[in-house]
Amino acid sequence: MFEWIANLFAELHGHVFQTAVLPLLHAAGYGGYAELAFDATEVFLIGAIEITLLAIVLGALERNFPLEQQDEEEKRVDVIYTLLQRLGFVPLLMFALLTPLIDGFDGWLRMHDVIPWKLEDALPALNASPWLSFAVYVVVLDFVAYWLHRWQHRVTFWWSLHALHHSQRSMSFWSDDRNHLLDDVLMDGAFALVALLIGVPPAQFVTIVVATRVVESLSHANLRLSFGRIGEYLLVSPRFHRVHHAIGFGHEGRARGCNFAVLFPAWDVLFGTANMDPVYPKTGIRDQLEGKEYGRGFWQQQWLGLVRLGSSLAGRN
Amino acid sequence: MNFLRKAVVASLSAAWLFAGAIVHAEVVIVLNSGEGSISLIDKAKMEEIKRVPIGKEPHHLMATPDDKFLIVANAASNDLVLLDPVTGDIKKRIDKISDPYQVGFSPDRKWFVSVSNRLDRVDIYNGADFSLVKRIPTAKVPSHVAFDAKSTMALVTMQDSDELVGIDLATQSVKWRMKTGKMPAGVWMTPDDKYALVGMTGEDYVEVIDWRTQKLVKKIVTGKGAHNFLAMGDGRRILVTNRVSNTVNIIDQTTLTVVDTIPVPGGPDCMELTRDGKQLWVTSRWIKKVTVVDMDSKKIIKQIPVGKSPHGIYFASHAARK
Repeated sequence: MFEWIANLFAELHGHVFQTAVLPLLHAAGYGGYAELAFDATEVFLIGAIEITLLAIVLGALERNFPLEQQDEEEKRVDVIYTLLQRLGFVPLLMFALLTPLIDGFDGWLRMHDVIPWKLEDALPALNASPWLSFAVYVVVLDFVAYWLHRWQHRVTFWWSLHALHHSQRSMSFWSDDRNHLLDDVLMDGAFALVALLIGVPPAQFVTIVVATRVVESLSHANLRLSFGRIGEYLLVSPRFHRVHHAIGFGHEGRARGCNFAVLFPAWDVLFGTANMDPVYPKTGIRDQLEGKEYGRGFWQQQWLGLVRLGSSLAGRN
Repeated sequence: MNFLRKAVVASLSAAWLFAGAIVHAEVVIVLNSGEGSISLIDKAKMEEIKRVPIGKEPHHLMATPDDKFLIVANAASNDLVLLDPVTGDIKKRIDKISDPYQVGFSPDRKWFVSVSNRLDRVDIYNGADFSLVKRIPTAKVPSHVAFDAKSTMALVTMQDSDELVGIDLATQSVKWRMKTGKMPAGVWMTPDDKYALVGMTGEDYVEVIDWRTQKLVKKIVTGKGAHNFLAMGDGRRILVTNRVSNTVNIIDQTTLTVVDTIPVPGGPDCMELTRDGKQLWVTSRWIKKVTVVDMDSKKIIKQIPVGKSPHGIYFASHAARK
């Protein structure tokens, strides 16, 4: 069954690439990017299929079992963020920005006789098992994601950008990708650096991202859903993540918030930031109650993010 | 009793022959660059036997000069894996080879040259023990390498800066650079050592370059996305893949003209030809398949599903590399 789907997808991928993408690429004089475009086409198609399935399944669940009334206008902006991110436009932009930096650094290391370490050096068994290596990379990258997320909240200038993600008061499964583009640059850059340092190949990195973002969509869903007494400790649920987005206590306290994990709540349990209260609070940022504006449309949200960043760097916030 | 003994001997002989057939069933080795594995294909049955994890981004492969091992270059794993060229069994892993994309031994076996496609380097190693001799920074995206017969020069294509570069092997330094058409990839030295043929993947032709004077002699129009070469073993004809037009051309090296065109779908990339010249095996890069072509009828015999982005391909009973 799985192989049948994979082969069907390969046919679709090959067909779309050869009939629509490759001729255009060559006509424009960018034939050198054929392999990159081949991967980008795959990301686009996977994203399109994923969004469609999520819209059908999670959309139906949210319509039938909504936790709270939704602001449709806010949701429409989140749809734009989702399309930009998951159809690969933002990742492609990040790739174009970051690859020269990462490859430049990597190349510099090689010229100084340093070949970056990889996990397989410590665990040669990973060479023989792609599934085991995939699992180890997911755990390591999720650990990194936990700490990067904590710093998004802890470091003042980074919070000035990340606040956009938390300003959604009408959270839905579309809200996961609502991020400031500079926030994306910082996160993706940090991730790419870690991936380089532990040796995650770019193709596998894409697979990891695609696999994990289904969980991230679900965790933002407008649903009264918890995974039960044990399940809540195994995988981030809508309840667990809603508490992270909660007005009042989701971004405050000693750690500037709680429930930072992206996939595995174990990190929050381990580092003392887990909140397992069976509650479904309102979401947003406290200063929104006092009238602070984070923007309604895409461009306004991006602009106000820059304004907040400027204030933060100037020490006015 | 005598009958029983004969029956036992006959059965054992049959079993031995059968086992021999299994042991000697020739394997085709395909590098699935997009999923870090090799596909082992039963050459006679044209079916994938198994898929084995090999390392990250295996793109190109070549036999060692003594034909004892097949070298697989894992670009993102920074290592070389040595396989049994007949069975495809993994025999050895050589670490600390930086970003090996395409690799080659100089004809005198003194140098092992590794082209670092992602990091813009050409690394030169000692051909005997793979110890690093020098890393040479280059222009953008070095792609393929070829050598002159006397092993004085390595010619390397620069895919993104549209250049052919001559590297002097004795001093391990860039001796000259020349402009080419868009996206030069595969490079092939003619048997008389006179011309370098370069596949222009961003165009629809092969450039014939007098590499000693760095002059363009001729453009041979092949098909869009002219990419990589393979000798047909007769010292006269070579094959070139055209990744965009989905064709393979036969070029006569004496007349420097195209003498035949074979349709091969799915982005034909690397090739292997049987010793008798009857079957051409091609990796169809964009459709996760290996395409087998009958060279008499120029028709496709079979397309064999393999892993993602199949690139290098090899089997032991290949046509001579001339």
